[in-house]
Amino acid sequence: MNGALNLLAVAMIIVATVLIGLYGLRISRTTGDFFVASRTVRPVWNASAISGEYLSAGTFLGLSGLVLLDGARGFWFPIGYAAGYLLVLLFVAAPLRRSGAYTIPDFVEARLESTAARRVTSIVVLIIGWLYIVPQLHGAGITLVVVAGLPSWVGGVIVAVLVAGSVAAGGMRAITFVQAFQYWLKLTALLVPVILIAFALGGGPHEVDTGSVFPAAAGPSGFDAYSSGSLLLALLLGTMGLPHVLVRFYTSPDGVSARRTTVLVIAMVSVFYAASSAMGLIARMVAPDLAEPAVADTVALVLPSRVFPGLFGELLTALVVAGAFAAFLATSAGLVVSLAGVVSQDVFSGTVRSFRFSALLCTAVPLAVALLTAPAGLVSSVGVVFVFAASSLSPVVLLGVWWRRLTARGAIAGMATGAVSCGLALLIDSATGGVGAAAAYLAQPAAWTIPLATAITIAVSLLDRTGVPLRADRYLARLHSPERV
Amino acid sequence: MSEPPRRVRVTADSRTYRPAARGPATRGIALPGAPVDEADAVYARALRTSQLRLALGTLAGFLLVVAALTGVVVLVPDLDRIVIAGVPASWLLHAFAFYPLIFVFAALYARGASRNEQRYRDLRERE
Repeated sequence: MNGALNLLAVAMIIVATVLIGLYGLRISRTTGDFFVASRTVRPVWNASAISGEYLSAGTFLGLSGLVLLDGARGFWFPIGYAAGYLLVLLFVAAPLRRSGAYTIPDFVEARLESTAARRVTSIVVLIIGWLYIVPQLHGAGITLVVVAGLPSWVGGVIVAVLVAGSVAAGGMRAITFVQAFQYWLKLTALLVPVILIAFALGGGPHEVDTGSVFPAAAGPSGFDAYSSGSLLLALLLGTMGLPHVLVRFYTSPDGVSARRTTVLVIAMVSVFYAASSAMGLIARMVAPDLAEPAVADTVALVLPSRVFPGLFGELLTALVVAGAFAAFLATSAGLVVSLAGVVSQDVFSGTVRSFRFSALLCTAVPLAVALLTAPAGLVSSVGVVFVFAASSLSPVVLLGVWWRRLTARGAIAGMATGAVSCGLALLIDSATGGVGAAAAYLAQPAAWTIPLATAITIAVSLLDRTGVPLRADRYLARLHSPERV
Repeated sequence: MSEPPRRVRVTADSRTYRPAARGPATRGIALPGAPVDEADAVYARALRTSQLRLALGTLAGFLLVVAALTGVVVLVPDLDRIVIAGVPASWLLHAFAFYPLIFVFAALYARGASRNEQRYRDLRERE
């Protein structure tokens, strides 16, 4: 593998990010620009940006690794991620755009007229965001280990510095351009190698023994109803609980365009996931020797030079490396923007200067965590974030948009229940490696934590003697009525 | 002593006068107890209900179709024996077949939701 060429690819991505960020900085002037790009981003650009930040290390590198390692079970992850956007579209996209809030805590506060509920939401949002950034930094680390032989901390530090710097400098507007560019880069970096490799395999001497490469036991028929169902439920509902997904709808000019944007996003991420899944299938044919937990996540980086020896393979690898870095950068930048928005409004005064300081703070914490922990499988680390978001935030967001009787106490109780029950289950599972008959319920807790959190939210709201928030009806009418033309 | 100017009654031209039927929308920031336009509230609630019904209906349809496709992929062993370009058909279906479904349901919903909103606008304008 050609280390210099790969580092050059990384350097070019960094330069492109900085240049586009600077361009954004030139036209980013007001506080509104910093937080939500002043709500003037067109659907196609906005959809590219949303897709750009949604497609993380988990699907760029992790998915093909998981399919190689685990078989068809891995396909459920991208299906769930894409379908998660369907639920976002069905239940929250247009209403949240019309809510007029900058962040999820803003929405909760406006809807429930309670600063306490806002604080709890902010804490949950921060935990989700930090959990999500850590695997991105890990992914950057293992990428540079594999493609350039650098120590594993280098990648994480590079991404963190770059993200904190560009977010602090340009805010949301600059980031929107950067991420739109990164979506198209990621798609190219995956689609081009997949198509070329598929052609090479189709015309080449590769003889595939279907029975051993795609054994029925690892295929779709090795289906575990509880685990797959619970995982799918978490992925479906988790998307609407992710901080960087919701903040994006505020950059659409109105509710209708928020919906149009979401449909576009579903198309864009689906194309990408299909390419990534194809990479996984190819990996099983070409590189079965890499099917080990520690190295499987790097298979997308290794494949091109396996199939095309020489300079052509090296160039393709450099392209994949560039795409992978775009993935780490885009997702972490999107998360840092939304987290910095929350922190600067909650802890500081909500000005541009406090936004910049918060951006640094919100990158430093996950970087510290990433440096202190060892990378686990990228896909499952990202999956854990979805389970947590689906258990803690999603029920409250859903009920807030659709159920009039929701109260602040109900929301706080529900978020606490969801976060604690899901967090405990996952911690016990990782500490003990599963406890007898409860193992499946601890490893995939979503199927019971989401209903539990929802039930607690509803029960406490109904029992709450302070009653429905005074302006609930007006606020709901505003969420669901089209803007005046 | 000059005569004081004659008093004139000043009124608006009745042909161009339009009552300020509804003030600017309060967009949710009105104080509690402020008068609510009853008809507006009823329309808004009806819109909310129809949007929720559309969303739940779309979700139910989507889950049904996904369950059916999953059933086919998981339970029909013959799909393992059909091999296209070295890959069993069941794997191919699992990898690629779900995305078009998601997109179709998304596009259908977006159309339906806009239609509901159009109906709401028409109702208000007719008023």
